[in-house]
Amino acid sequence: MANDSDNKAGLYRRALLTGLWRENPTFRLLIGMCPPLAVTTAVKPALTMGISVIFVLVCSNLVTSLMRNLLKSHLRIIMFTLNIATFVTICDLFLRAYAPRMSEILGAYVPLIIVNCIIIFRAEVCASKSGPIVSILDGIGTGSGFTIALCILAGIREVLATGCFFDIRVMPNSFVPWLAMRMPVGAFVTLGLLLGLANVMTMKKES
Amino acid sequence: MSKIKHFVEQSWLLLVSSFCFGLLIAMASAALSPQIEVNKAAKLNDLTIALLREAKRFVEVDAEIEVKLAGGKKEQVKVYKALSEAGECVGWSFGAGGQGFADKIELVVAVDGAFEKIAGFNVLVCNETPGFGDQIKYSYYRDQFTGAPAERLSLVKGGDSKKIDSEIVAITGATVSSEAVVQIINTFLVQIKDQVKAKGLVGNGK
Repeated sequence: MANDSDNKAGLYRRALLTGLWRENPTFRLLIGMCPPLAVTTAVKPALTMGISVIFVLVCSNLVTSLMRNLLKSHLRIIMFTLNIATFVTICDLFLRAYAPRMSEILGAYVPLIIVNCIIIFRAEVCASKSGPIVSILDGIGTGSGFTIALCILAGIREVLATGCFFDIRVMPNSFVPWLAMRMPVGAFVTLGLLLGLANVMTMKKES
Repeated sequence: MSKIKHFVEQSWLLLVSSFCFGLLIAMASAALSPQIEVNKAAKLNDLTIALLREAKRFVEVDAEIEVKLAGGKKEQVKVYKALSEAGECVGWSFGAGGQGFADKIELVVAVDGAFEKIAGFNVLVCNETPGFGDQIKYSYYRDQFTGAPAERLSLVKGGDSKKIDSEIVAITGATVSSEAVVQIINTFLVQIKDQVKAKGLVGNGK
C-alpha cells in the first residue's frame, strides 16, 4: 500500500519536474522554437506568452486525458487540433479583453500557439496515455519550463537592448544599448549561446 | 444502413467534441466581447485624437451614411465630426475595414475639415504577417497618406515614398497588405466624402 502511494508520488513528481530541465522544450528538446525567437524582445510579452502556453497545455492535456479511451488512432491528430484550437481561442479572447496592450504586442503569435508543437507533442506523448492528474502536472511542468526559457532569453535581450529589466532601469546611464538585441539576430545569438551553455551543463552533470 | 452505422461509430466523438468546443468558444466570446468592444472604442478614440491633434471632442454625425463594399454588401458607417475647443470643425473620422492578406484589417481614417485632404490613418486591427504585412502600422507607410488628397488613391510598386500625392508606394514584400489598405481607404473615403458633401454637412461651419 505504502509502495503504491510512493510510486504515485514519484510519478507525479516526475510529471511536474521533467519538463523544467531534463525535457525542457526550448533548451533540451528544441521544439516550439517560434515564440523563443519572436516574442523575447522584453520580459512582459515573454511572460504573457508563457502563461498563455501553460493555460493551453493544462487545459488541452486535461481534455485529451479525459477522452483518451475514446480516441480512435486515425482521428487523434484532428481531435488534438480541435481541442488545442478551442483553448487558444479562449486565451486569445481573454487577452484581448483584459490585456489588450499585450495582445497587440504578441499579435498573431497567440493564435499561432495552435500550431506550437510542444502542445500537440505533450498531448500525444503524455496526455493520451496518462490520467488527468499526471496530464495536468505534465502541462504545468512543461509549460513552466517553456516560460522560464522564454523569460531567460527575454531578460538577457531586454537588458542588453534597452538597459532595463521588466521596464525597470538596471544598467548605468553610460550603458550603450545593443540595438541588434532587439532584432532577430539578437534572438538567434542569445538562443545559440544559451543552448551551448545548456549542453555544457548537461555534459558536466553526466560526467 | 451499415455505412451510416460505420460513419457514426467512427466520427461521433469528433461531432460531439466539435459541438461542445464550439459552445465553449461561443460562451467565452459572449462573456468577453463587451470588454473587447470597450477596449476597441477606447483605442479608436486614442488613435483618432493622435490623427487630429486640434480635436477636443468628437460628435457622431446625425445622418445615415452607407458604404457599398466590394461584394455588393452595404455597411452602415459611423462618421464623427472632430471639433476644436471653440467648437469649429477641424476634421472628420470614420472606421473602415476590409480583407487583408491574412485576416480582416480595420482602420480609423481621418480627413481635414473641408474633406479635401487625408489627415492620416491608424491601424485598429491587423493580423498581417509579422515583419511583412504588419508594416502597414509603421510610419514609413502611413506617412504617405498624411496630406494626400481625399480622393481615389493608387498603389505603385516603386517611387518616392516621401512625395505626398495620390500614389502610394507599396511595402516591399507586402504588396497584398499595402494594396488592401489602399482599397479599404478608396472604398470608404470616396463614398463617405460624396455622401457627406451631398448632405451638406461639410462647410456649414458647425
